[in-house]
Amino acid sequence: MMNRFNHLPTLKIDVSDKIPFTYKGKTYYGTKGDTIATALYANGVRIYARSLKYHRPRGLYSMDGECSNTMMEVNGIPNVRTETTALKPGMVVKEQNVKGSAENDLMGFIDKMDWAMPAGFYYDTMHKPAKIWPVAMKQIRKAAGIGKLAPDHHMPGKYDEIFPSCDVCVIGGGPAGMKAALAAAQKGLRVSIMEARPWLGGHFEYRSSEYISRQTHHERAVQLAKEVEKTENIRVFTHTANVGVYNNNLITGFQVGKESDSFTERYIEIRANSVVVATGCIERPLLFENNERPGVMQAGCALRLANTYGILPGKIAVFSIGHDLGLETAVALHDLGLSIPVIADIREDGQDPAMLKAVLDRKITILKGWVATEAHGGKQVKKVTIKSVDGTISKTFDCDVLVASAGFTPLTGPLVVNQAKLTYDNHTNFFLPTDLPKKMYAAGRLLGFENAKSIEASGHLAGLKAAYDCENCSIADLGEAKKAMENLPGPARGTKLVTAPVKGRKTFICFDEDTSIKNIKQSIDKGFDVPELIKRFSGAGLGPGQGGIPGHNLPLFAAKYQALPDIKIKPTTVRAPLVPTLIATYAGTNHTMFKRTPMDEMQRKDGGIFRNIGVWQRARYFSKDFTCKKEIENVRTNVGMLDGSTLGKFRIHGPDALNALQRVYVSDLSKIKEGRVKYTAMCNDDGCVIDDGVVIKRGENDYYFSTSTGRAGQTIEWIRYHTRYDNWNFAVINLTDAMGVINLSGPNARKVLEKVVDIDVSNEGFGFSEYKEFKISDTIPVRAMRLGFVGELSYELHVPSSYMKSVWLMLKEAGREFKIQNFGVEAQNVLRMEKCHIILGQESEQRTNLLDIGLGFLWSRKKTGCKTVGVAALAQAEKDNTRLKLVGFKMENNGRAPKDGSLIVDDRVRGYVCTARNSFSLNEAVGMALVEGDMSKIGTRLAFYEDECKGELIYGTVVQTPFYDPDGKRMKM
Amino acid sequence: MFSKSKPMWGKKTKLKSSYDVVLIGGGLHSLATAYYLAKEHGITDVAIIEKNYIGYGGAGRNTAIVRANQRTQYNVPLYKEALDLWPVLTKELDYNLMFNNCGNLNLMHSEAAMNAARMTIATAQFHGVESHLIDAREAKELVPALNISEDITFPIHGAMFHPPGGVVRHDAVVWGLAKGAAKMGVEIHQQTEATGINTKNGKVTAVVTDRGVINTKQVLISAGGYSAALIHGFLGIKLPISVLTIQAMVTQPLKPILNHVVSSGAYHCYANQTLKGEIATGAHMDQWPNYTTLTTAHYIKHQAEALSEFLPALRGVRFMRIWGGLADMTPDMAPIMDGNDQVEGFFMDCGWGYFGFKSCSAVGRHMASFMATNTCPDILKPFALKRYQEHKLMGETAALVSYTPDN
Amino acid sequence: MALTITCPICGKRNGYEFRYGGEEKGPRPDEKDLTPESWCDYVHMNQCVAGVQQEWWFHRDGCGSWFTIFRDTTTNLEKETPEAKE
Repeated sequence: MMNRFNHLPTLKIDVSDKIPFTYKGKTYYGTKGDTIATALYANGVRIYARSLKYHRPRGLYSMDGECSNTMMEVNGIPNVRTETTALKPGMVVKEQNVKGSAENDLMGFIDKMDWAMPAGFYYDTMHKPAKIWPVAMKQIRKAAGIGKLAPDHHMPGKYDEIFPSCDVCVIGGGPAGMKAALAAAQKGLRVSIMEARPWLGGHFEYRSSEYISRQTHHERAVQLAKEVEKTENIRVFTHTANVGVYNNNLITGFQVGKESDSFTERYIEIRANSVVVATGCIERPLLFENNERPGVMQAGCALRLANTYGILPGKIAVFSIGHDLGLETAVALHDLGLSIPVIADIREDGQDPAMLKAVLDRKITILKGWVATEAHGGKQVKKVTIKSVDGTISKTFDCDVLVASAGFTPLTGPLVVNQAKLTYDNHTNFFLPTDLPKKMYAAGRLLGFENAKSIEASGHLAGLKAAYDCENCSIADLGEAKKAMENLPGPARGTKLVTAPVKGRKTFICFDEDTSIKNIKQSIDKGFDVPELIKRFSGAGLGPGQGGIPGHNLPLFAAKYQALPDIKIKPTTVRAPLVPTLIATYAGTNHTMFKRTPMDEMQRKDGGIFRNIGVWQRARYFSKDFTCKKEIENVRTNVGMLDGSTLGKFRIHGPDALNALQRVYVSDLSKIKEGRVKYTAMCNDDGCVIDDGVVIKRGENDYYFSTSTGRAGQTIEWIRYHTRYDNWNFAVINLTDAMGVINLSGPNARKVLEKVVDIDVSNEGFGFSEYKEFKISDTIPVRAMRLGFVGELSYELHVPSSYMKSVWLMLKEAGREFKIQNFGVEAQNVLRMEKCHIILGQESEQRTNLLDIGLGFLWSRKKTGCKTVGVAALAQAEKDNTRLKLVGFKMENNGRAPKDGSLIVDDRVRGYVCTARNSFSLNEAVGMALVEGDMSKIGTRLAFYEDECKGELIYGTVVQTPFYDPDGKRMKM
Repeated sequence: MFSKSKPMWGKKTKLKSSYDVVLIGGGLHSLATAYYLAKEHGITDVAIIEKNYIGYGGAGRNTAIVRANQRTQYNVPLYKEALDLWPVLTKELDYNLMFNNCGNLNLMHSEAAMNAARMTIATAQFHGVESHLIDAREAKELVPALNISEDITFPIHGAMFHPPGGVVRHDAVVWGLAKGAAKMGVEIHQQTEATGINTKNGKVTAVVTDRGVINTKQVLISAGGYSAALIHGFLGIKLPISVLTIQAMVTQPLKPILNHVVSSGAYHCYANQTLKGEIATGAHMDQWPNYTTLTTAHYIKHQAEALSEFLPALRGVRFMRIWGGLADMTPDMAPIMDGNDQVEGFFMDCGWGYFGFKSCSAVGRHMASFMATNTCPDILKPFALKRYQEHKLMGETAALVSYTPDN
Repeated sequence: MALTITCPICGKRNGYEFRYGGEEKGPRPDEKDLTPESWCDYVHMNQCVAGVQQEWWFHRDGCGSWFTIFRDTTTNLEKETPEAKE
């Protein structure tokens, strides 16, 4: 392990604290404060991975994880960006996409095969003859992908989520972002800052150069950070990458937890009133031959290696740069002991005079108007050729590091994902954001400012603009801040160089997909002439790092190659997430939520097997026998109890309550009498049945009604929707959760009930279809109905949820002598099917109307002037005999029931089975089916085609319904 | 094999003042229609008018899943034909469409869903399409990453397994069809916007574009999500369509982990691994009409929550890109294919929702026949616009319809 | 996108609290004059405006009222009047 600096004020490491980790099966040591990548670098690792397509060696390049160069498998998690991931004790780090090792990859020869793989080559190959394609595809799949994930991978860690809101959200915690936050906070606003790095400070943080006399940029960063941190109304999220920005200023990101945090990562979604984006710049990759050879790195990367992590990047470094940061880096690293034979500066002129002087003072050779054209060395840089920008003169230098950068490129992602437009700016050579969305501002380096004061002032101004949006800033304050900007230097001039003078066979515009500029030319020649198409055809920008590396160079190169007079060409669309984000992190805490009835616990104790049904969990079975024979027989011959609490229950009252009901129900509800139960249905405008239930009149314009379980959530909006133009005066109250329902059914039901209640429950006292309200023990209010869904003597008791358990226990106690049993949803399903009582969604589908399922008798044709939903369509469709109609059928020769969902066929499909069972009660197989109208006549023979029947049909006949107790005596007894 | 590159769909040409047929929209249905007009009917004086570039809309934004296990007898044969055409087109176009017939696994999360699936499976088998109902354990054997435990929101009861389905490289289909059509003389005019259709006495006479008027007697609007707005804007014909944004996303590429397309209605989610190794996943739509292709924070989070449950291994992989496209939804989840009805010479092929990709080849072929012969092929007849006023919805979805925005 | 809707009672809220309820098409037509065409036009047909449209929303996770707003379908942003278009 190399010696590391321990005296620099900018360092973020503690060299005295060693962190052990495993790499390629051996133990190595990093230092507290290291990222995985810097720890490896300090241990001499230069090749971190092999590239996707050509298996080219790849090394540390940018330090902010824009590409896949340093992605590795860490603790079984693939594609971890090691340059931004903090080293933790015991981490197990592995190389990806290598056969052998990254150092010696057996697949490395593919790099020489690039001639066989022009852009889009796979579309022109491997399909002739057709049979080679499946074989080739297997090989492609094996070769594709970089990380590996086991199918049983269990993700360790805790993932959290928070949804804070604030007045102003600042994205980027550099000098501009901090100044913006302070400006808004000083106006009394609540401010949040999101900063991707673990600390505030941005590009000031790692620079030891002078900010003002006797203060370095680093010191200035510390000063501002302190000010921000002590401001109470600024909430700072460090180590929080911004991943999405959505209109109306919804900002998402994720925070990486520190050791002291309760989470590994947490998803953060901020709703802000206004937003300042101050994300700064990254460096624009310099395009030359072998521009991604390990040893080639950007200036910021080299500088941060030294100043933040205490690592001198190498011994001898050639610089090929186009910005003052390049000069500053050369000076700083020279002073730390790096030997610099030459700086090739793309710029002929325009360098910062002070920086230039510092370079010359150190006797470093600087060649203006020069650029690197080729890095030499098989696996790492050993030599570099530089040329004058026109390509006429060249020189070669030995080195082990090449610091290469074409200049800056702004991080406009947060703006463009929120619909800002980008326009090419000739002065900065940036694609600058224009047409910013409302209440969104940009500040700092991303606008092209390089002067420290200008950067801060632009942040201050943006913060005030954001405050102005929150009505907390005066026009005068804004004016002052604008004026301050005018006296400061404007955006800096950017270098225009697109590529070094090269042919470009090994000049990579996209590292992740191994896309060379030669591939880009091939794409354009084929007609893929705009970046969006080039991207799709050549793959540039489609890899793990997306547009991070090619984002800026691709449109510039496309414009240059096509010799477009003005750069109208646009970068490819930037898409969220701006930083690749773990599915675990997005999922957050991921609670599952279901509603439980008041009887949930007791039914579970009684052995209920529960299923998720809509928003509820319900007991579907009470034994492992899923035919439910015992449950069914018990209801048919004795008495059973079902928890029906999930039924929708509503009160509607007020002067127009009846009008509203008349609008949505097909029956004429003006005729119903108090004390009676009216069964009816709702249709949609197509006449298709959407709900059925009962309506009870409890007083003048005061009704209680039930809906099916699935419709409970939508009933109020349905009624209000269809009356929205009428200005009617009524109130609907959803009582679904307030009331529970017990269904007591079977021939012994009366004997059980009479032990519990005081009222007369004889057939004369409480007849079929009647409704009663009474109290049990003078305390528990009950709404009771006599219904017959399962076809037996049956009482439905609606009880306030808080009393459900008491009533349930009383009935159970009373039923003990009869051996009362629970029955579940599936037993009910069979019982009601034997009676041919329908369940919507089971005996009907989207296009099934009221008439199709034999409920036409509910439609009151005399009711006029109500504009009842669905009746116009019913009238129009009434005579159509091609519609599917519901019929009952029995199987021939006492055969078994067809499986639910079986088809009814002749030479084509004529219908299908909704529900069919081998009925215990009837001792034969019966069912209901939807069939075309001409087949619905009694006696029609039906041929059933089941899945996997291999053409072996079974047969049945359409019969009268219901199957069980056709006269309905049992439910009326 | 690697001859000198030349533009795949011809050099940029001038727009002529008349064509036999004008197709509005440079997506898959237009391209396929043009291809078959030329190939099977010898009609080559055809112009495709595309406002942006070919494949810009749904053609380039779908997740490329193909299958023929639809619910009704009207749809199954159409999609079966489309499925069978992929290898044929690969050969005809001499362009590798990368058909990966890995099979589709549609998860079922309740007994009721299993029964509903059985109806769909029986329909497939009745029409000679391979499809099987399998239980949870068999599903796990096919997809080892599947979580078949009880303790998730929607426990997996089984699945509908459809071996012949899979994934086709959608961009390749766009480029291949464009190449094939252009070779036979079809002109593809990108960066050209149609702004109107002229009619006289109930007949189409011309298409107006921002590059001039084109005289023609036949025009097809097959412009994906924009079809309904164009048809209403140009001809005043209203359609039962709601245009919604549908989103999809991909993870960073992985070595093979998913060998089939997996989908779940209950979780509103499908996932498959592309040949590049990315897990492509999507399905949800925000339920309000809009023409943006903007993505939402809500959805990418939803997708992560869903995948965390039924494919929990994927918690260890990262999403890297999410995008949106437009889906023109009809109340019965079936398309509208019609012609020579409202206006003579006017044809439409729209309302495909998110099924436009899987059907494009077969539909292009039949629409071409419809336009060439002025006779609607039997297979397209049930898809006419009139069905809505005749109360003959298609039944492609069994679930009860919600009244908005689809009804 | 991150839709927000302004409820006349509850104010500006997250769009996911609401349910979309279709284009504004006017009151329910009188049933006795309905032909299949006019019925279909009211029930199923949409203008599919790419621009500002008046439309219905329901505050499902809120006050439970139905109301109309103007929204630009090409930006997903609310507008104060039907004409407003930037």
